[in-house]
Amino acid sequence: MRTDAPSVPAGGVASATPDRSGNPPRRRSPALRKAFPYLLLAPAMIYLLAITLYPGLFAIYQSLFVVKFLNWTWTGLGNYSQILQDREFWAALGNTALIGGISLTLQTAIALTLAYFAYRDPLIRGWRIIFLMPMLFMPSAVAFIWKLAFNDGRVISDLLMSVGLVDGNVDWLASVWLARMTLIVADVWQWTPFLFIIFVAALQGQDQEIEEAARLDGASWPEIFWNISLPMMRPVIVVAVTLRGIDITTMFTNVFVMTQGTPGGATETMSYFIYRQGFRMFNFGYASAASVLMLILTIIIAQTVVKRAFHSGKK
Amino acid sequence: MATARKSRGESRILRYLILGTWALVCLLPILWFLSIGFRPRTEVITPEPIYWPTFSLDAWRLLLSDWPIAKYLLNSVLAVGGSVVISLILGIPAAYALSRYEFRWREDIGFYILSTRMMAPAIVAVPIFFLFRSMGLLDTIWALMLIYAAVNLSLVIWIIRSYMLDIPKELEDAARTDGASDLRILWEIIIPACLPGIITAAVIAAIFAINEFLFTLLIASTANAYTMSVALANFTGGSDGIIYNAIALVSFIAFVPILILVILIQKHLSRGLTMGAVKG
Amino acid sequence: MASIHLQNIVKRYGGFVGVQNMSLDIADEEFLVLLGPSGCGKTTTMRMIAGLEEPTEGQIVIGGEVVNDIDARDRDVAMVFQGYALYPNMSIYENIRFPLRMRGIPASEHDARIRKAAEMVELGSFLDRKPGALSGGQRQRAALARAVVRQPQVFLMDEPLSNLDAKLRQSMRVQIKHMQRQLKVTTVYVTHDQIEAMTLADRIVIMNKGAIQQVGTPDEIYSDPANTFVAGFIGSPPMNLIQGTARDGRFTAPGISVPCPRFVHGQVTLGVRPEDCHVGGDNLQGQVYGVEPTGDVTYLTVLGGTNKIEVKAARDYRSDIDVAIGIAFDPAHLYFFDESGQRIRGAA
Repeated sequence: MRTDAPSVPAGGVASATPDRSGNPPRRRSPALRKAFPYLLLAPAMIYLLAITLYPGLFAIYQSLFVVKFLNWTWTGLGNYSQILQDREFWAALGNTALIGGISLTLQTAIALTLAYFAYRDPLIRGWRIIFLMPMLFMPSAVAFIWKLAFNDGRVISDLLMSVGLVDGNVDWLASVWLARMTLIVADVWQWTPFLFIIFVAALQGQDQEIEEAARLDGASWPEIFWNISLPMMRPVIVVAVTLRGIDITTMFTNVFVMTQGTPGGATETMSYFIYRQGFRMFNFGYASAASVLMLILTIIIAQTVVKRAFHSGKK
Repeated sequence: MATARKSRGESRILRYLILGTWALVCLLPILWFLSIGFRPRTEVITPEPIYWPTFSLDAWRLLLSDWPIAKYLLNSVLAVGGSVVISLILGIPAAYALSRYEFRWREDIGFYILSTRMMAPAIVAVPIFFLFRSMGLLDTIWALMLIYAAVNLSLVIWIIRSYMLDIPKELEDAARTDGASDLRILWEIIIPACLPGIITAAVIAAIFAINEFLFTLLIASTANAYTMSVALANFTGGSDGIIYNAIALVSFIAFVPILILVILIQKHLSRGLTMGAVKG
Repeated sequence: MASIHLQNIVKRYGGFVGVQNMSLDIADEEFLVLLGPSGCGKTTTMRMIAGLEEPTEGQIVIGGEVVNDIDARDRDVAMVFQGYALYPNMSIYENIRFPLRMRGIPASEHDARIRKAAEMVELGSFLDRKPGALSGGQRQRAALARAVVRQPQVFLMDEPLSNLDAKLRQSMRVQIKHMQRQLKVTTVYVTHDQIEAMTLADRIVIMNKGAIQQVGTPDEIYSDPANTFVAGFIGSPPMNLIQGTARDGRFTAPGISVPCPRFVHGQVTLGVRPEDCHVGGDNLQGQVYGVEPTGDVTYLTVLGGTNKIEVKAARDYRSDIDVAIGIAFDPAHLYFFDESGQRIRGAA
């Protein structure tokens, strides 16, 4: 081997120029070094604080007033005592939980089932884009698709009649549960793909050897899925469902386009309640009080569920 | 392997039945909606649904003559593009700090950033409305740009942070001993090495910005700032009722670029959508 | 082209002590190897020399200058990393050029120097490729070229060969040693592989749990270990260490009895290298536990009481297991260690 090394004159690749330029070496300032990561973070943090902390404080402040256009009248906790007795507020909270809960459960179940069948499919890479398409439509467009299909275009009724499930035209907005169902269908249709693609990625990312070992041990595919794959992908499921859950609780667009809260507020979500109080009825103080209550709820959820989800989910 | 082939064979029919059904569930409403975009208005809302409509470019003509669709499109592009640039400029240094430095409160700052993603737009809607009003930014693209960037900043930071965490620490150490400064390391080593993550973050941020509805609804009140997303809601006004065929057409105009973007980053999509928590 | 002095270096991470009160002088042009198991503080020591980590206490002096406050990028050291740390987005050429650009070397000199460095590590034909397109050995050479392209005061190498296969490791070892002699640059080399340490080093520093165990030439480390840790770490297979009792000039343990100096006594540990054990004798009486022929030598494991003793036997030695056997220890090469593991030396 020794002969392999080409001979280079002593001094190697040194050249006339000294490598250190004549300047004295920079001494580091410990204070600057310590501050450096904070400096990198500062612009983003200032921006985020401006867009979250400032509005939060503003909302708390405004919630203490009755606001009629430019007239702010101090009311202290009046808005809060009123809101806590407001049946519409509690209904909105309940609707959000109910519609969101059912929708989330359904799309998780469907996405898991589909992922189970899809992830070992050799062709899935080619055609999974079809499964993604609903997610790629603007939410407002999706709301119009289903508004037309259910209500204005009567297509769903017509299809149900043709298979004999109903015998007349269904007025989806007349019944509490039918109206809620239209929202659920729209949400499930659009967002099941979100969970599906994450679940497929998680399943495909799993160590093949473990599945192979289980197969050699005589387990069937459903057994492998239930006993091995599913527990192994639990952190991923938690993260994905948490993210989806957060988005569902902010549901607004579908309500705005499809039901406007009808019938009788049965489909009014928290977001729509705040919007309606603030921008339809111009009760800005009242809307702010509702915002503050929702913010408190969000913080509680963030500190418990989400923090845990992302701790188990991260690498 | 023989047993595997057998069990696969048995379940194949069931598998394709289920996947095929769901593929139809996904596709049929889209195709039907596309057909809405190419039928005359008289065939959209009828006592009985019409499944085989006459082909018509009515909606096109309506869009081109009555609605400043080009203006909406331009607004969308400017607001979304601007917001993505802002969130990358703010987000990349932040992600770098979170992924590569040890410092006090790092975890708490990271979680605070994540938690801004959980804030419902409705919570801050009223204050943001007042804020932009006092700044005179209502009904401007600038307001949209700023708010989209804010909405997406947490996601951009977390996605890029996740990709930066994958870069071996050695690379930075090597650059440092080679004589590079921290910012140079970020610019010459880290950013090129996590470019896929940055592109993924940009695409996903763009999609969320295109989709944004509530803030846009509050901020935009004329064609000055209407974007595609809210322009749709605009088609509902007036005595004509909801002009579905125009809505359908606009939906597809927005759908096609998003579809292309997503196909480009398909491999990274699940990782991006979970803000880096899932490596697909 | 510089000496390095570490003065009372301490590195603490919170409550954990990474390096404790370490002092070391490294001569100009010396090839010094830091050897120890993982987590012994050797890499931390090197990173402190590089400026990638700051010592909690103590001074680092390179070329007569205290460098504690000088950033890694201004220390004028070149480092080769275990994972090679090639910049994935740059071609090999750009990789090697990077330190030249960063240090403001005139662009007119770049090309010649890069080609010279590449030639030195036999990498000439790969300059246009990206690191991802190279094999492990080629990446290793590229990393070396990037280090030698400028003339740093110090080379630092952090387990540069540990990701290579055994054969390549041997040839790269020779090349590194040749290059260091040629360039005459002070080199600090970290490894956990004692063969690398023995073959490369002018001097070896053996570390454990953040502290220096022994400093010496490879010969000294091998033939004159300071404690049981060094004794058990160097040599392959390592030295046999047997706990027993010494009284009246005789060391005894189950199945073992050897004479020892009179100043050795009480609970002690006997050290004897496998190459100083010979089949036939009565210092050790036990049974054959296993026989491992390797071609040029046969390793024999003998069970004496509860101790398993490694013996280097003749290459044609064969035996069944559980056969009774006697082993002689070379009396000139016996080492005794006290209860704390320190070598017991004569009254000298």
